[in-house]
Amino acid sequence: MVMTSTRLIFITGKGGTGKSAVTAAMATARARRGESVLAIDMASSPGLAAHLGSRPLTYEPIEVRDGLFAMTIDRAAALDEYLKLQLHVPRGAPTKQIAAALSVLAETAPGVREIISIGKPLYETWKGTWDTVVVDASSLGQFQSYMRAPRTIAQLVPTGAVRRQASTMETTLSDDDVTSVIIVSNPAELPVNETIESIDVLTTENLCPIPRVVMNRVLDISGIDASRLDELPQGAVRDAASLQIHLEDDQAIWLDTIDFMASLPYLAGVFTPQEISLQLSDVIGAIV
Amino acid sequence: MTTHTIIVTGAGGVGKTTISAALAVALAATGLKTLVLTIDPAKRLADALGIEHIGDEPQRVEGADNMWAAMLDVSASWEAIIYRYAEPEVGDRLLVNPYFRAIADRFPAAQAYAAGERMAEYIESHQYDVLIVDTPPSGGGIDFFTAPARTGDLVSGKLLKWLTGSRIPGRSVLFRFTAKPMLKVADTVLGGPMLSDVADFLLDLSTMYASLSARSRTMERYLQQATTLIATTADPTPMHETKRFFRELSGISIRPAGIIFNRTLPLDWVQAATKPIRGVPDPDLRARARLNLRTWATEAQRQGDASAELSARYGAVMHRIGLVSPPPTTVDELRGMIEETDLVKELTEDRTP
Repeated sequence: MVMTSTRLIFITGKGGTGKSAVTAAMATARARRGESVLAIDMASSPGLAAHLGSRPLTYEPIEVRDGLFAMTIDRAAALDEYLKLQLHVPRGAPTKQIAAALSVLAETAPGVREIISIGKPLYETWKGTWDTVVVDASSLGQFQSYMRAPRTIAQLVPTGAVRRQASTMETTLSDDDVTSVIIVSNPAELPVNETIESIDVLTTENLCPIPRVVMNRVLDISGIDASRLDELPQGAVRDAASLQIHLEDDQAIWLDTIDFMASLPYLAGVFTPQEISLQLSDVIGAIV
Repeated sequence: MTTHTIIVTGAGGVGKTTISAALAVALAATGLKTLVLTIDPAKRLADALGIEHIGDEPQRVEGADNMWAAMLDVSASWEAIIYRYAEPEVGDRLLVNPYFRAIADRFPAAQAYAAGERMAEYIESHQYDVLIVDTPPSGGGIDFFTAPARTGDLVSGKLLKWLTGSRIPGRSVLFRFTAKPMLKVADTVLGGPMLSDVADFLLDLSTMYASLSARSRTMERYLQQATTLIATTADPTPMHETKRFFRELSGISIRPAGIIFNRTLPLDWVQAATKPIRGVPDPDLRARARLNLRTWATEAQRQGDASAELSARYGAVMHRIGLVSPPPTTVDELRGMIEETDLVKELTEDRTP
């Protein structure tokens, strides 16, 4: 078992719910408190860089603001590091061939690609040099594959360095003193139902500490009473009020369907990804 | 009959599945025999279409004449693909192979390829005037268009070639390969006979290469002949994906026929929000209504800017679909979504037989 004081936070959720924005906001909020933070993009999308207001991310972490570094997983580089730093492939072993063999396996064998990718956030956590490692961890289905990878490997290979390393990873991933999982959801049918299904899978299979939900894009309540709509002048004023009331009603159904630890506001008319994450980081800083 | 294929693509969460269903209802209402292939619909929508279970067999939609709906079943589709293109005993071996399962579950284009194969089969059945294809969200939707070529890569034996040093080796070559001393070291580090298992699997897969790549070319032709519509909203990620579609689709000779801008608000709210509200005596209600309209007006403004940018940049035809709440759950509500646009007119006039 590896001892570390670093917190490892995975942020996942259905596509389009705002994972990258929440990851960026969480990383920013923690850096503002004086923590040293590494944000890792595992979703290979431009989302995290955009929400951090950064140039495209590389495998080498870049400092995007004081105390906040960000990087993306490059599979070739991750594989190289995994061999050297995690498998401790002995001197004199045919490293090149083993790397080539592993990259073939990464394309075909279950769990191998995931173990190599997730090896990086774990390695950064074990190092103990960051206060927090925040991971933008791709969609729910993909995230489950990542969390399941150590066990998949254990079933596939009975012995060897990959297997040993996978057990160490599994220990850290299920240690709730180190690892936490946040699922970003929206108050709408598909995101809420997929969140519920995913929590069920993750907890039934005991793949990680119990996930917590952050509800994103929650409309502020207007306080306009539906029974008074006809007191408003016809046209834009009444139409906008009517739309708002219908949206509030629909939202209430989904907010009642699931427990969540925090809600983040719907930001009407906000233009750039960075503005979005900065506004969210103000809210997150106050609640998390 | 010749089938007019309409592909609805776009980033995750923009409403592709609902738009596809709504388009199908609206086109079926003009008398065209219409099938919609949906991917993972929300329960309310699936209920509206009367499709409770995934399945390739099109179901008649109640309350809409001439309309059928099917829901993509990825693993059944792959099973069908395997038995169609591989020798039966190879097919049997592949389907129980853990590596094949892993690839079919995780290969990001697997769902996209399965959808493409289904699309091709429906087109070739000559049963429908119109086929509407909702696209899987992987790769922001672009995977659907590139999956045929990429699946060719997967089974082309590139990996196998590396493992064995020979293009289509026999099993004897494979045996010699697994006996290579350097790979024995690799197997020791990696633990167990993984590499030889993988090589076995790839060898089986490569027997499908010739027929799968021929099929991929047919699928690419169908994709080029189809009408491609990109669905988007003003949010940053969908906007980014929409731009990416225009860039990357042109590389494979596909020109999107238009953009469906979903969940729009009336643009005149922007002007209306600047004016004082008259005739509401209660100051509290007046203030709340004013703040509410102003909030939505900033959103309408953002949408206007985003839509103008896409028009200017790509000269694309823009179809606006208004934000409705709650989301449409009946066939009539679905048709209502499309009726306010000129999509039906455009899609039916476009085609002279």
